[in-house]
Amino acid sequence: MAEPSTAGRPFDAEALPHLDALYRVALRLTGDPTLAEDLVQDTMLKAYRSWRQYRPGTNAKGWLLTILRNTFINDYRRRKLEPVATDLEAVEPHAIYRAVEDVDPEGAFFAKIVDEKVLEAVDALPTEFREILVLSDMEGMRYAEIAEALQVPVGTVKSRLFRARRRLQTSLYEYAVETGIIPRREDHDG
Amino acid sequence: MGEPIDCGEAVARLQDYLKRELTPELEAEMRAHLERCRPCFSQARFEQNFLLMLESRARRFGCPGTLRARILSVIRGELGGG
Repeated sequence: MAEPSTAGRPFDAEALPHLDALYRVALRLTGDPTLAEDLVQDTMLKAYRSWRQYRPGTNAKGWLLTILRNTFINDYRRRKLEPVATDLEAVEPHAIYRAVEDVDPEGAFFAKIVDEKVLEAVDALPTEFREILVLSDMEGMRYAEIAEALQVPVGTVKSRLFRARRRLQTSLYEYAVETGIIPRREDHDG
Repeated sequence: MGEPIDCGEAVARLQDYLKRELTPELEAEMRAHLERCRPCFSQARFEQNFLLMLESRARRFGCPGTLRARILSVIRGELGGG
């Protein structure tokens, strides 16, 4: 059997360059290096087997991420019944910029938090927020690409991204205050 | 020509502006506002720094070489096994 190819573009050349991105996204979705490796391997095998469905000239990365995300939701998500609905409806915190504009208007505190803590805070976001923040702000994907990969409207991508950033900033701010990276705000009028 | 926009509109557009997803006209209006409004400029810089920080954390990881090799071997196995 010949290697699957689409209009002369072999699987290897189209898919393998995206392994780094797939692994990073898998790591953030699963929160576990071993599960992330399994998820990437399952994704690549599924992609290889259905390579004929890939339309040449479209976004291979987006196509692979769709497979990865669906595989994660169907086979890997440990808490399938996590309280998504209520959590997603919760009122978002105020912009953290307002809390720090007097002491750290440039947000230098973000850069002082170690990688591990930043990634922990990302991993603590609900899946629906985390996946969009990772694809947008860590992998540099555009709204339309994310909407296609996750099969949700662009408006949903935008609103979830907004709220994901708010939550992440709030959690990093609280960590920075607790550890003394920035001083606690004196007033409590918030 | 773009219309002058107020701070409320600028804050509403900030996310799309930083993601470079505004149309050229809306982006020009936003730039013009940021050039003359110090509070909005400052908030935009804060959000930009947050995003730069996130992006830099993401790139420190990649697919492990062992996984890459395993995937290649599994795919080659598929090929051989029909």
